[in-house]
Amino acid sequence: MADGKILTINMGPHHPATHGVLRLVLELDGETIVKVTPHIGHLHRGIEKLAENMNYQQVIPLTDRFDYTAASLNNLGYCTAVEKLLGIEVPKRAQYIRVIMSELARIMGHHLWIGSHALDIGAMTVVFYAFRDREMIMNMVEEVSGYRLTPSYMRVGGLARDITPEFIKCLREFIKWFPTAVAGYNTLLTDNIIWRKRTMDIGVISAEEAVNYGLTGPSLRGSGVPYDLRKVKPYSSYDDFDFKVPVGAKGDVYDRYLVRMEEFIQSLNIIEQALENLPEGPVNVDNPLIFNPQIDDVQKDISALIRRFKIQCQGPVIPEGEIYHAVEGSKGELGFYLVGDGSESPYRMKVRSPCFILVSALEKLMLGHMIADAIAIIGSIDIVLGEIDR
Amino acid sequence: MVTLTIDGKEVTVPQGTTILEAARSVDIRIPTLCYHDRLNPIGSCRMCVVEIEGYTHPMAACTTPVDDGIEVVTSSERLTRIRQDSLKLILVNHPLDCPVCDKGGECLLQDLTFEFGIDQLEYQAAKVERDSQYASPLIRYWPDRCIMCLRCVTACQEIKGIGAISIAGDGYGAQVVTVDADKCQSCGECLQVCPTGALTEDLSRYKGRTWLIERVPTTCTYCGCGCQLELNVQNDRIIAVTTKDGVGINKGSLCVKGRFGYEFVNSDERLTKPLIKRDGKFEEASWDEALDLVAEKFSAIKGEYGPGAIGGLTSARCTNEENYLFQKFMRAAIGTNNVDHCARL
Repeated sequence: MADGKILTINMGPHHPATHGVLRLVLELDGETIVKVTPHIGHLHRGIEKLAENMNYQQVIPLTDRFDYTAASLNNLGYCTAVEKLLGIEVPKRAQYIRVIMSELARIMGHHLWIGSHALDIGAMTVVFYAFRDREMIMNMVEEVSGYRLTPSYMRVGGLARDITPEFIKCLREFIKWFPTAVAGYNTLLTDNIIWRKRTMDIGVISAEEAVNYGLTGPSLRGSGVPYDLRKVKPYSSYDDFDFKVPVGAKGDVYDRYLVRMEEFIQSLNIIEQALENLPEGPVNVDNPLIFNPQIDDVQKDISALIRRFKIQCQGPVIPEGEIYHAVEGSKGELGFYLVGDGSESPYRMKVRSPCFILVSALEKLMLGHMIADAIAIIGSIDIVLGEIDR
Repeated sequence: MVTLTIDGKEVTVPQGTTILEAARSVDIRIPTLCYHDRLNPIGSCRMCVVEIEGYTHPMAACTTPVDDGIEVVTSSERLTRIRQDSLKLILVNHPLDCPVCDKGGECLLQDLTFEFGIDQLEYQAAKVERDSQYASPLIRYWPDRCIMCLRCVTACQEIKGIGAISIAGDGYGAQVVTVDADKCQSCGECLQVCPTGALTEDLSRYKGRTWLIERVPTTCTYCGCGCQLELNVQNDRIIAVTTKDGVGINKGSLCVKGRFGYEFVNSDERLTKPLIKRDGKFEEASWDEALDLVAEKFSAIKGEYGPGAIGGLTSARCTNEENYLFQKFMRAAIGTNNVDHCARL
């Protein structure tokens, strides 16, 4: 405003461009942002506390509800953390299928990001194409798990069931089709002059600052830091696959956009390799203390029946100990800190949510920009409130 | 005193202690199935086998007394295999009853099978189907589920001193039978010690599962003994009465009334309103009406025949406070010393 008065406005929690129930209190000098105060917690469900009263397998559906745009990645993080605590390794086939499901989830998460991000800035067409392709993945996820958004397909010790031939058929079609689709997104946005003007030199964060803020995932890589847990600390056989970690140069909204666009292709690359080299064998660890026996055995063998009874009614017992294990989520480093006390439920489960940390950097990214750019910046860090609030 | 080593830990215990007791005194756990704190060692299940330095064969820890200087190992690969095999042999004839068994979820056999990670039986045996039968009208015996640990027989003999049940037959045909039905008091001592679902209470059969019920500790009101018991409550209804081993004056025992006499609590036939007899028929009345009538009659009797004509009988099921109030009322309000109670129910 001309007289230099500060105007405080409220954005959210019902604002469609805050990607959920994020509430920002913006203080404006004219149209320039001078202060940003994020208010979170509107979606708090107490998942970490709930987990303390559930057995280890029952926690898996809760993890779907962190970053629900890429639910399988949360399953992977949780299951691998518990397995690490138990000191078991799932069979190679299960690891490969987990990789396929996780990378599909990453693509799904990025689909939602590109759709809503472009829509927020005014490019309406992209969301339709993104959701057209997301639907293909949804159908595949439904084929193997029975659910579309929250599959809960992984289990501590393996998978709920093996993949089906129908799934493999659909996946091959998808692999064939998807590069064309990504080229389509590129045509719509990458060289689009409006898109470039809205995103270049907006929300710049240098590599050093990004590291200091604790940013991870594409938001960190957009600033040029090649930190990807799949490379740095491989889990679930990620070291078997050949893929690149795309990085940006400047760390603006446009760089973060480019990184994610390249991740579409890299994820597809990983899926293709995993599918071609998919080993044969069981998908569940052969450990009577963890995993349910086959249903045929249960109906004729008393020891299998008892085992199933105990695992279903009581749950697997996890030894005392604590563990921190992180996976590369679609938004960044998704870490699980688990404390086991020798009972059937975790004594404590703490989730290191990448989005929670991304939100803390919002003010840094937004200061000095126009209010319209706030929308572009929120879209570019790709936050999901289900994960921030938990 | 005797000093021995258990798993590298030096233990000093009195002569005559068993290895199992010595191990428990220093918090070393040896898995057991037939052993029960209140019973003399039975030694039928072979779960508690331990290795003793210098002995070729593993020994049962529950029946072997300690000796000076022996070295005991309580867990090794060999012992685990022996324990697993013992369990497998027990399981060979066990029916697939866990989903319907009342003991499911708090069954010692289940716990041990799960703990020792038995996931497949290599042994096969011809299935012998036997119908469940009533050990007493209140206790049902399931021969198929019975693992022949002999806890029930020993408890009947040692704790109760009755000896109403015993083992009949041998091999696969062996089962627990009632030797003398007249002797059995249906006290449920055998129920209390049964580690599996071979003996179940017939009143609460199929009514609730262990993880759905809430166990409310309370004191039995039947007599002045004051046994500690737990009411098993599901959906605000008592579905069974159990007691914890080693708790209270009764230490895990109950009598037939304490264990089975709970159905009155939720009975539809309980009086909820006072009744007054008018023209030979009981009619519902309000408390004011009823109390007025009683007071009137008492006053009339007292006026006509004196307070000595009135006596009060109270109940052993009332609390001390209620009984105190009752005698106070008789002595102070009525003015009589004719107070007594039924001593037991």
